[in-house]
Amino acid sequence: MVKAISYTVVAFALCVGLFIFTDLYLTRQFGEFSTALDALYTKIEDETATVEDGNAVRALWSDKKEKLHIFIPHNDISYIDYWLGECCGLLKNGNYELAIGKIEVLKEIAKNLPDAYTVRLENIF
Amino acid sequence: MALIFIRTTIIFVVLLLVMRLMGKSQIGEMQPFEFVISLVIAELACIPMADSSIPILYGIIAIVAIFILHQIVWLTELWFKPVKNVVSGKPSVVINKNGIDEFQLKKNNLDVDDLIESMRVAGYFNLDDVYYGLYEANGSFSALAKEETASNSLSLTLIDRGKADKKNLARCGIAGEKLNSILRENDAKLKEVVAMTVNGEGRVYFQKRGEKYKILQVQVNGQW
Repeated sequence: MVKAISYTVVAFALCVGLFIFTDLYLTRQFGEFSTALDALYTKIEDETATVEDGNAVRALWSDKKEKLHIFIPHNDISYIDYWLGECCGLLKNGNYELAIGKIEVLKEIAKNLPDAYTVRLENIF
Repeated sequence: MALIFIRTTIIFVVLLLVMRLMGKSQIGEMQPFEFVISLVIAELACIPMADSSIPILYGIIAIVAIFILHQIVWLTELWFKPVKNVVSGKPSVVINKNGIDEFQLKKNNLDVDDLIESMRVAGYFNLDDVYYGLYEANGSFSALAKEETASNSLSLTLIDRGKADKKNLARCGIAGEKLNSILRENDAKLKEVVAMTVNGEGRVYFQKRGEKYKILQVQVNGQW
């Protein structure tokens, strides 16, 4: 009996610990990514962004996504890959007008994605 | 992650509720919550295994959630008896000294044919072969058998909760006026009859709603 209760309590405590860690981790990772996207957005607006700037954001994202694959569905990660790839391609051609649209989408995804995994009524149902 | 845990809990509770509402006919010799677990856990294990777009951690969290819920239900049942009645249900006495308890049958979404089938599985071939018959909380059938069984012939259901089985009535030759006269003799209308069965020797089990069962003797068309 004691063993069964302790297993249950330990399992529950581990779960709660994991939930808190995941929430903090996702918020932090996407926060950092959003900051990088904001900086790139400003540069694109000023038409000073280069393909290296785009690649730097890409490298940051690649580093983060390796670990994010553990916590969020891989399809959500591939959305960001897709839009970031397009943005970098447009920067390579110096097409700032179209690139700004792509970066807007990326900013929106980075802002909303962690919210999709937090405990909210709309996410539960 | 917490979302998966909460969603699993909601699905578990809803399934448990539905299983309890479905009655004992659906659960097949398991406690309702055990049945729910076996229903859910295979799927939970399969989805992240087959769909590579879902992190395997989602499957693990859902399975751990099921484990925690199982432990909570099990421990609560152990400590608080009334909870056990709510979660797992209690045995239903469907045959008592007066015969079939129609209310208990209805409550468990069963009919007389289901009862007769359960009795046959348990080794009793006539409704009056037992003093008491009950469905346990896990859906299995138990009975307190009489010392001597009524006959060594198989029973046919003629009337099941007010509905006549025309095929069986024709087979034993009690259709039409003969059935009406049996009903008249026993001051019953067809819809008032809870159960009427007959065996190959013409031994009839007859139970009118709200009354104790009777054993009658009629002439039947041979053996089956």
